[in-house]
Amino acid sequence: MNNTAIYGVFDNESSLLGAIRAIRDKGINITDVVSPYPIEEVFHVLNLKTRIPALAFMYGVFGMLATFGFLYWTSVVNYPLVFGGKPQNTLSFVIVVFVMVINITIASTLVTFFLTEKKGPGAVPKYDYEGMTDDKYFIIIEKNAELDEAAVNKLLKEGGAIEISEK
Amino acid sequence: MTNMDKKFEFTPRLRYLTYALMLIGIIAVVVGFAADPERGWANLLLNNFYFLSLAIGASFFLALQYITQSGWSSAFKRIPEAMSAYIPVAAIIMIILIFGMGTLYSWVNPEQHHFDEHELHILHHKSPYLNESFFIIRLVLYFAVWIFMTQMLRKFSLKEDMEGGLVYFEKSEFYSKVYIFTLALTFSLASFDWLMTLEPTWYSTIYSLKNFVAAFYHGSAIIVLIVLIMHTYGYFQFINNAHWQDFSKYVFILSIIWAYFWFSQYLLIWYANIPEETTYYVRRLEGAWEVNFYLNLALNWIVPFMVLLPNYFARKKSILAFVIVMLIIGQYTDLFEQIMPGTVGDFKIGFVEIGTFIGFAGLFIYMFMRTLSRASLIPEKHPLLEESLHHTGH
Repeated sequence: MNNTAIYGVFDNESSLLGAIRAIRDKGINITDVVSPYPIEEVFHVLNLKTRIPALAFMYGVFGMLATFGFLYWTSVVNYPLVFGGKPQNTLSFVIVVFVMVINITIASTLVTFFLTEKKGPGAVPKYDYEGMTDDKYFIIIEKNAELDEAAVNKLLKEGGAIEISEK
Repeated sequence: MTNMDKKFEFTPRLRYLTYALMLIGIIAVVVGFAADPERGWANLLLNNFYFLSLAIGASFFLALQYITQSGWSSAFKRIPEAMSAYIPVAAIIMIILIFGMGTLYSWVNPEQHHFDEHELHILHHKSPYLNESFFIIRLVLYFAVWIFMTQMLRKFSLKEDMEGGLVYFEKSEFYSKVYIFTLALTFSLASFDWLMTLEPTWYSTIYSLKNFVAAFYHGSAIIVLIVLIMHTYGYFQFINNAHWQDFSKYVFILSIIWAYFWFSQYLLIWYANIPEETTYYVRRLEGAWEVNFYLNLALNWIVPFMVLLPNYFARKKSILAFVIVMLIIGQYTDLFEQIMPGTVGDFKIGFVEIGTFIGFAGLFIYMFMRTLSRASLIPEKHPLLEESLHHTGH
């Protein structure tokens, strides 16, 4: 099987970011970056766009309306119950709505993320490398006909990669 | 670093400005005492607690930065340090307030107030804790702890500026750890003592937490406002979007925590519906107090939460400044609601209230600027300074 991608392995955040900038400035397309924790800077440097936060907000609004609707229908419309002489459409809804908004937002955002990224249980990873889920930082560049591999290797090395290989 | 970052200068113009503010305050206090001593004392307590809570909140912010070893905020640490310079002034005013105890606190001489037999029994039951001499002992103890701890942190910080190295950073971190534990205990009891006992038969166990969070919230907001103003006047020019993002994150998350505690207290009292507890809110939902009640919630939670929610707004300086100005009024309405119904009784807001606030603001700004001008504006030998100067987000 032919090698399809170049993997640059780094052991710290700042050299990773430096290497990403250097490669980007040369106009080379970076396929993916893997890090042990989210680094917001990578997002800005690669000029990525995401609609997940807007989507999460909408899930939250939906969760609020759905939970409130459910509570209102069950305890005010369909089967009105009086607890301790309190009005039925009451403040006691607030906590349930609050918790359900968090629950619905997180669960739906997670599912959306898995679907858009084609990840999740049973998914076969497209890029796999030893130590990728450990404490190392990775730059992955997919090979194609126009890619100047020597230049990429040089940039990765100059950027402080501790390991460069193809797979 | 430019030359302007080296030192803040407390110019005579600024000095006279704070004197003018203080003069307005003195006139307002005199007018207040002449009109109604109870109103005068209550205003003194309210404004002193207001600015004390800002100072305490700022010192808690500083301690948290040490404990979490946060780098991004290290260039601004002189600001919370200078804000905590108000604590000794607050101590002096609190000691003056001891003379007004008989007027402010009805538990001092319960016979002269309209307590029924059951309430007198409650007060008698509370008297081992709630008596004048123990109140004064506690007051002195709280201030001794706060002044000692904040002065130590300040001293280490100044020594670090001279000598450098990691020694003072580690010492500061240790003292910060001690400080937050002692502060949690002392500030909780202080808010019980000074605010909650204004209505001595009512109690809420979450009351102190709510006030602690309010202090942290508004103290942090004032730090952000000061950074904003100084940035406009040419200081802190290294600030970038990531700093603003982190500052507004602080304000945003604390607005949620504040609302959480506010609601926890309100919901439990509303739900349990025990007359002894509900009287507190019944009184605050009548007449003009009702406006204040909802204004408090709107200014301290709805405005910051809604406005700072979109990422774009959170980085806009003008919007951040607007939110913090709302919070300055918000903390006032919050304390107004906690103090005034139990002391003055009627909803009175006029020259006495506003003038006293302006005077105290002048005093606070004077102490702040005086302390700020006495040390380098940016702590040059702070071990995490480089991280703060080149902060890029997380």
